[in-house]
Amino acid sequence: MAMGLFLDTSRVILSRVKDLRALTPKRHRVKGKWAATHPKQPPTRMALQHFDATYSAQLGALWPSIRVALLSERKYGALLNHFSHNLDVEELQARGCKDFISNGEAFMFPASADHRSEFRPEEDSSSVSTVNHGGGSQQPSPLRLSPNIRCLVFPRGDVTRFRPARPDKFGLLSYYLLDAASILPCLALDVQESHTVLDLCAAPGGKALALLQTQSVRFLCANDSSVSRTSRLKRVLHSYVPKALLTDDKLRITSFDGTIWGEIERNSFDRVLVDVPCNTDRHSLMENDNNIFSRSRIGERRSLPKLQAELLLAGILAACPGGDVLYSTCTLSANQNQAVVQQAVQLAEEQHGIQLQVISLCPLTQMFSNTFHFAPNLHLGEMVIPHLAANFGPIYLCKLRRLT
Amino acid sequence: MGTRVVLLQVLRQKLNYVPSSTSIPVQFKTFKTSNLPLSLSCRLLCSVSNQTSSVLQHNKRNSPELSLRSLLDMGFTEYQAEQLYDSISRMKGRNAAKHVLSTLSALFVLGLNPTTVHKLLDKCPELCAVKEMQLQQRITQLRRLGFVEGSLQRTVSHYPKILTVPIKSVKSVVQFLREKCLFTTQQVAEILRDSPAVVLEDLDQLEYKFQYVYFRMGVKQAEMVKFRLFRFSLDDLRCRHTFLERRGLYQTPDKKGQTTMINPKLDRILNVDEGTFIADVAQASPEEYDVFQKLLAREWKDEEFEHGSIESYSEDDDDDDEEEEEEDDEEEEETRGKSGYNKKKKK
Repeated sequence: MAMGLFLDTSRVILSRVKDLRALTPKRHRVKGKWAATHPKQPPTRMALQHFDATYSAQLGALWPSIRVALLSERKYGALLNHFSHNLDVEELQARGCKDFISNGEAFMFPASADHRSEFRPEEDSSSVSTVNHGGGSQQPSPLRLSPNIRCLVFPRGDVTRFRPARPDKFGLLSYYLLDAASILPCLALDVQESHTVLDLCAAPGGKALALLQTQSVRFLCANDSSVSRTSRLKRVLHSYVPKALLTDDKLRITSFDGTIWGEIERNSFDRVLVDVPCNTDRHSLMENDNNIFSRSRIGERRSLPKLQAELLLAGILAACPGGDVLYSTCTLSANQNQAVVQQAVQLAEEQHGIQLQVISLCPLTQMFSNTFHFAPNLHLGEMVIPHLAANFGPIYLCKLRRLT
Repeated sequence: MGTRVVLLQVLRQKLNYVPSSTSIPVQFKTFKTSNLPLSLSCRLLCSVSNQTSSVLQHNKRNSPELSLRSLLDMGFTEYQAEQLYDSISRMKGRNAAKHVLSTLSALFVLGLNPTTVHKLLDKCPELCAVKEMQLQQRITQLRRLGFVEGSLQRTVSHYPKILTVPIKSVKSVVQFLREKCLFTTQQVAEILRDSPAVVLEDLDQLEYKFQYVYFRMGVKQAEMVKFRLFRFSLDDLRCRHTFLERRGLYQTPDKKGQTTMINPKLDRILNVDEGTFIADVAQASPEEYDVFQKLLAREWKDEEFEHGSIESYSEDDDDDDEEEEEEDDEEEEETRGKSGYNKKKKK
């Protein structure tokens, strides 16, 4: 009787078996289907893996702090628009925002004769204990900065968000929100009275706007290789700057490929800003849209260093002898930063006989060490690294002067 | 034999209201040395308390008011009795005072001494509002769930709130832990013992916490129980884990359960104070963690807001929005579906 039951159930079990695969011992089984492609990973994931691999080696013990800052909400600064007047700015200041640039200047050149008594408390926006300030303020900085630029930031550790700017009665906005560290290249460029300035990769326009705030630019040429981005640049400038200052004799907006500038206009500009397309580390980690780590853009990403060197070289050619060129990126990657500068300097000498001098930005880092974290021991240029309490950057900058 | 003595003593005590503060510790002692199986002695005591409650009710009809005298009779010191009387009289509702005596006696039957009972009621005055019948049922339920004598008393005295929770709630929590989270009965008992507050937790929150630890952190049930996961709040847990994850010090295991680095144990994450966690485990500065907590709290608030507005529109691309918030996208998908972890059931 038990046997009969067994046969019945086994018949039932066998009838349920679809194929013999489950009955074949594992060692004889053949894998029926093989994956033809890698599992789909979003570009942000790819970017993170790439950065983990490269930056842990390049940045060492700094990487974990930078990593967590990159993956968390970034901190903005409000670039003040001198051409607009409304109460927004006073409101911001009432909520604790301070202009980090004035702070930095006050810190470097304190008005009090006694350099040992440090700063006046109301001007110090951070609570970080400042130990090495004595060294910075003992001599006037040999580095000049572009004047009149003002950018408000909330204090260190304060994560308050900025409200969007509102237009004044003329329809101009009172401030432009951007990564406060992006202002540093504009400051370092040192635009002085009646300079002609070329911004080779100007879109979306934050830096161009900052340059116009100096009110020292005789003529600004803003270029971007993409037409859509150039139209955005136009919109930005028109939202902030009165039409009278955007006339053809003061401003020219173009959509050329920046690498050909050496052929268009050589030895023409007092100052050239080369803010190249790069990995855009922060964006690549947080947004899947328009992400350079997506599969379709692998070729584009791999050829970035070459493009960057070409752009920098073009900028060097466009500058006049004695003029300054400022190279900046928003990536931590050394092979898009120092390596590119070295390459371009070498090419300039070999192919065009141009001698360049690297201008140290050390005074800049000293001046703003209360606001930003700078990477230590960079042998060429300076770099703002993200940190949770000062979540700006990454920004790399390097200043070159044409000697010949 | 000893138990019979106990029964007689208890009966005598309740019937005559003879103050015998010394008999209670004796009762406790004989309890421990009783040779009868626990269940039998429990049942005996239950029947005793049923008898006492009926006796008490009879007496109550004669004296419906709680009095200082009756409290003193139960064995409280004057100070304790006064305190109790005050707090009970202050409690709203006339019904509160009526069955307080029976509640108190039920607690004594459990084996707690007056000082403990007093502390207990101090901690949790709403316990007085619990009817004696309910109390007995809840105690019985706890015993059935695996609380042995000793641990039951310990848990009740440390966390008296557990007796204010209706049986249904405890049952649903236990059912959830056993059936959905696949904890063994023994593990469930351990969880209840270590973290009795789990019975008061919202089931949704509990589920989220479990899924978070199981899938995002790749930690299995045994470790969860061993390291007392349920003692910790979800927010604390998520904050610490996310901090480690974003620093690159914690990796969600892939489908095979492997990681390219060794994750810190749950022990190292939860069972250390914040200072040690920040300095040793995360190797960061307190300032960083402080700012991180603020940022994360805001992220969660934004997420909740998004969830709320997305549900009302029921868009299909809401998954994309959710994925962008964390960098471990694949694992996120698994935790979003409610049935996700049922697939992991092993035979």
